[in-house]
Amino acid sequence: MRKVVHAAGAALIVLGLGGLAAEGVLLKWALWFGGLLVAHDALLAPGIVVAGTVIGRWPQSVRSGLIVAGTLLLATLPTVSALGRRADNPSILPLHYGVNVVIVLAAVALLAVADHLLTRKD
Amino acid sequence: MIFPDISTLSARFTSRLRSEQVAAKLGAWLGVSFTVAFATGLFSHFVQHPPTWLLWPSRPVNLYRVTQGLHVIGGIATVPLLLAKLWAVYPKLWQWPPFRSVGHAVERLCVLLLVAGALFQLVTGVLNIAYVYPWPFGFLQTHYWTAYVVFGALVIHVTNEWAKVRRSLWTRVEIPERRRFLFTVAAACGVTALVTAGETVTPLRSLAVLAPRDPRVGPQGVPVNRSAAAAGVVADPDYRLQVTGAVRTPLSLTYTDLVRMPQHTVHLPIACVEGWSVECEWTGVRLRDLLRSAGVAPDAFVTVESLEQRGGYRSSEVRPPHWNDPLTLLALQLNGQPLRLDHGFPVRLIAPNRPGALQTKWIKEVRVA
Repeated sequence: MRKVVHAAGAALIVLGLGGLAAEGVLLKWALWFGGLLVAHDALLAPGIVVAGTVIGRWPQSVRSGLIVAGTLLLATLPTVSALGRRADNPSILPLHYGVNVVIVLAAVALLAVADHLLTRKD
Repeated sequence: MIFPDISTLSARFTSRLRSEQVAAKLGAWLGVSFTVAFATGLFSHFVQHPPTWLLWPSRPVNLYRVTQGLHVIGGIATVPLLLAKLWAVYPKLWQWPPFRSVGHAVERLCVLLLVAGALFQLVTGVLNIAYVYPWPFGFLQTHYWTAYVVFGALVIHVTNEWAKVRRSLWTRVEIPERRRFLFTVAAACGVTALVTAGETVTPLRSLAVLAPRDPRVGPQGVPVNRSAAAAGVVADPDYRLQVTGAVRTPLSLTYTDLVRMPQHTVHLPIACVEGWSVECEWTGVRLRDLLRSAGVAPDAFVTVESLEQRGGYRSSEVRPPHWNDPLTLLALQLNGQPLRLDHGFPVRLIAPNRPGALQTKWIKEVRVA
């Protein structure tokens, strides 16, 4: 059973790589594929580890708030940066993302403070 | 500064949150998320590029809207989850010796494909919906083919880790710190979904403050993907709609002719492949009525062609289940007003359960095969 599933997985991988090769984009794709891996493993993750040593002793609520804020920011960064705006089409990226992101982060901060006040052990 | 000994590096990560159980729980959630993304992604791909034998149905009306909303909003909400999982297993990257055997090396290669592939899918996905394309290849092909690589590697990884998943999944996390961490990650995913989902889930639209679209903003209060300016289309006073090909009576209709035909009003969503969607009121001529008056066989394949000169979506195929559906219109009005040029004036296609890219605008010809 295990071997069958492994073979199926390997077949999907070969199919995907074959498809990329057939499109003639394998090399350019591999640069992005590997580049993102390096960006995560060599830059982002060590950065988080360093940040972790700094905030490790901070209150739990603050750490939770920072996790939510940081990951939320990364997930929405392409939209918030609004680099994709176009003159011919104002319905693309139509909002005031700078203001909105401040509001969202302020709400996360408020929740973290509320959480801290409610859960702290006196 | 003493350079750390790499052979003991992985033991120097001290956070108690990085446990097998935490990694297994996050992994199980990721497994669900990537499976949903894979399934909805394949659905979207084959709806847009159907093999000849595939007659996908025109109902349920909102099917594509729901699957693509799940794909995109689920994808955005997976970013915190993936980052948390990679954080939890990061010390394993530095395990020593790096390869204990050939089998172990192959296993790690699979993990490499899985991690890089997952990062690739999420990064290209969130950039693409924000209309940022910094890569030197087509998004569509690479996002599609990489999905197979990721899912294949995922299947292998899950098989290898199944014992740990089974051990951890149904047991309660006893250490409060770890429970809190998992809850925090879930909250991060939830908040991320909450501030974006409203671009497709209408009741949440006021909360969609970090979504690339507001379903209320655009010409006639409806977003547009490709403007008339971008498509190079201008209003033509001598406009005629041609119905040609395998027809008994070829038709050539002016805008006034179309307005004089029986008009129907339907409520259908425009559901973009990039994840936003909005239901609108459309008024126009049933494609079925038009094709019947031209004398078309009910099982014919039909192509609608745009005034656009270039672009991958200047024409689209309308197969029998869709053009026979009474909801499928050649729309002349949107929300009670004549279509603006950006929405496809004089005539655009609107059909149920169909991606926005195939709701062809500025139609000049209906060709029957």
